[in-house]
Amino acid sequence: MAIKLYDYSLSGSCYKVRLLLGFLDLEYERHPIGFYPEREHRTETFRAINPLGQIPVLEDDGIRLRDAQAILCHLANKYDMSGLWLPRAPELYGLVMMWLMFAGGELMAASAARLHDLLGYDLDIETARRNAHAAFRILDDHLTRREIEGGTWIVGDHPTIADVACFPYTALSNDGGIGLEDYPALRNWLRSFMHLPKFDAMSGISEFA
Amino acid sequence: MAERPDRWIGVALDRQIKPGSSNPAIVGGNAIAVWRAEKGPANVWEDRCPHRGMRLSFGFVRDGMLRCIYHGWGYELGGHCASIPAHPDLAPPKTICANVYRSEERYGIIWTNLSESPNAPLPDAGPDQGWQSIRSVYVARQVAAVKGGLASFDWGGGRVEEIGEGAALVNAGGLSLLIAIQPVDESKTGLHVVAKGEGAKDAKARLAWASRLERLRGSIEAQS
Amino acid sequence: MAVTTDRAALNEWIACGWPEKVVPGGKYRTVLLGQEIEVRRTGVSSFEVFECDGHGELSRSLPVQAKYCCIFTTLGEPIRPLPKIPEFDEADRRITGCGSVGVHTSPFRIIENFLDMAHFSFVHTDILGAPERTEVLAYKTEHRKDVDEIWAIDCQFYQPAASKASKGGQMTHYAYRVMSPFSVMLYKNVFDDPTRNDAICLFVQPIDETECLAYMPLAIVDRESALTSIIDFQQTIFAQDRVILENQRPALLPLDPTIELPTRADASSIAFRRWLKAKNFQFGVYEKKAA
Ligand SMILES: N[C@@H](CCC(=O)N[C@@H](CS)C(=O)NCC(=O)O)C(=O)O
Ligand code: FES
Ligand SMILES: [Fe+2]
Repeated sequence: MAIKLYDYSLSGSCYKVRLLLGFLDLEYERHPIGFYPEREHRTETFRAINPLGQIPVLEDDGIRLRDAQAILCHLANKYDMSGLWLPRAPELYGLVMMWLMFAGGELMAASAARLHDLLGYDLDIETARRNAHAAFRILDDHLTRREIEGGTWIVGDHPTIADVACFPYTALSNDGGIGLEDYPALRNWLRSFMHLPKFDAMSGISEFA
Repeated sequence: MAERPDRWIGVALDRQIKPGSSNPAIVGGNAIAVWRAEKGPANVWEDRCPHRGMRLSFGFVRDGMLRCIYHGWGYELGGHCASIPAHPDLAPPKTICANVYRSEERYGIIWTNLSESPNAPLPDAGPDQGWQSIRSVYVARQVAAVKGGLASFDWGGGRVEEIGEGAALVNAGGLSLLIAIQPVDESKTGLHVVAKGEGAKDAKARLAWASRLERLRGSIEAQS
Repeated sequence: MAVTTDRAALNEWIACGWPEKVVPGGKYRTVLLGQEIEVRRTGVSSFEVFECDGHGELSRSLPVQAKYCCIFTTLGEPIRPLPKIPEFDEADRRITGCGSVGVHTSPFRIIENFLDMAHFSFVHTDILGAPERTEVLAYKTEHRKDVDEIWAIDCQFYQPAASKASKGGQMTHYAYRVMSPFSVMLYKNVFDDPTRNDAICLFVQPIDETECLAYMPLAIVDRESALTSIIDFQQTIFAQDRVILENQRPALLPLDPTIELPTRADASSIAFRRWLKAKNFQFGVYEKKAA
């Protein structure tokens, strides 16, 4: 019953999955994809695994999943006996889903900016940065309210997969030329996240929080 | 080099500069690092390590020192370099020193004066005690437009009164708001807001004020 | 963006791509020292490079060489040939490029960081350096006048995981070689084999003074690892450096030694800055403005 992750070290989306696998202490087999410069994810061979030509992809016991957010749900649902990473309580569950969608949606503008600056993707960088700032402002406003209420995490009293999904591209914003000067609550949330037991950094994020 | 007038400018809420953290901010085009040791007051330094220019706001705090993330040089509170990890047995020369600016905590706000000869007084908002943080907001407009926006905003009956160039007071229904105004650059201004009085005591009231400040930001940015 | 007038920069061979960046018959545009150029792959391993004029039309044809997993051209009259790196001809080595990575800073900040060992423990923690073993032992630097190269030799540093092939920590021995203002390489001994060295290059394409592309061709001794993993390792390291590089202030490299304060561990940086100063470099260099 081995878990297998199609992975690329510099991918923030794969990092979402690596983070949760780490928090849940799950063993897994890492299948490195030559994302750049080989563009292996665009080959016919890989498209047979994920027709969208994207990583991460996770295989677990005969199930094959794409999309980091979906994979986080799967892992938390199946392996987190505490139920803390994916709370089922009605007053929390919907909120976790809402911020998960935000991580896979609006926040991905920060990923686009990073791919442009780092790997030379041909896209409108000004638009990407503007949209990323708009998303960061929304998250910072939310976390500011959470702070006033005495909370630390995006939803509830324990970190959830919403925090896991939102962390990578926020923490990697500098890679896309986006500073976090305007978002004090966001910075403090990032720092709290980095202090979680079993947190593991990736390139572009310092080990020394 | 951006200008550094003799003036106290609020750069953050005291509560948001956590113990053992270093944070970036920009004041009138000058990049600063606002950092705090495991305990004690916040410090404001130029955001540049004297060794190879790395931004100190990326640094980390250990044993009361701010350490640069690039080569780990450790700087003591006054700015002196006390540790160079590449040469563990070397006592760093006294000449190696981060550029330290004056800073003060007052009314729950961290203020700095970047001038080389700071003489100006802090804005006077009365006694230091009893201020509660509401929030910081950054508005994508220059200072003049933001001050105009503060004056015309619906504060629920309250009036805005400037105290010096860098702050404003609002008195509204049983509470006072103090707003520190941080010029970031030609297109952005930060506002750091604290409140005092019955109307700021519970979290619910402060949440309402935080939302109101989001509306303030929106109303200023809606003007062209 | 204006084309630089600095002859010291114009008269060098500079990387402007790698062969597999386009298919045979394909072409792309890029910028070198402020000058837009078009690179054409005319056959499997034949290339042409042209300058583009202000209207995007092709004007002058430029010299081109494909070597070390890169395509090189020059806008001036090169004062030196491409360096000789015989490791790329050794049959038992794994030879690969790593694409290019964009970095917003001066080309010389990128070169200088490559020469630096003192950051390993902090920037490449648990890979190229350990937090508790930070000391940089004395090493030698020299200016080899016959080839006009800067070398740093007898370098060593403790590394928990010196390469993809490593199975444990080791004291790694290094030699560094600055082959031109825009190209540098290192030799580091292979895990468990003091007799052989991995050769790792870093070629910088300055788009302008503070925007670059970095190319990292490798010629390494590692029979086991998949090429994908070797590239992944190298990119992991470089992405750790990149966040540092983009956040040094000023972005341009100060040559005046009073602006940034070095120690003994920075001997190679000192030698590199002196060498640039002796060449009277203006491009990519920080000039303190008169107050
Ligand atoms: N993959 C290389 C890393 C080389 C590299 O990209 N990094 C430069 C930039 S800091 C360097 O100085 N590396 C030192 C080193 O290779 O150990 C290795 O095997 O260590
Ligand atoms: S740049 Fe700060 S320690 Fe080297
Ligand atoms: Fe490095």
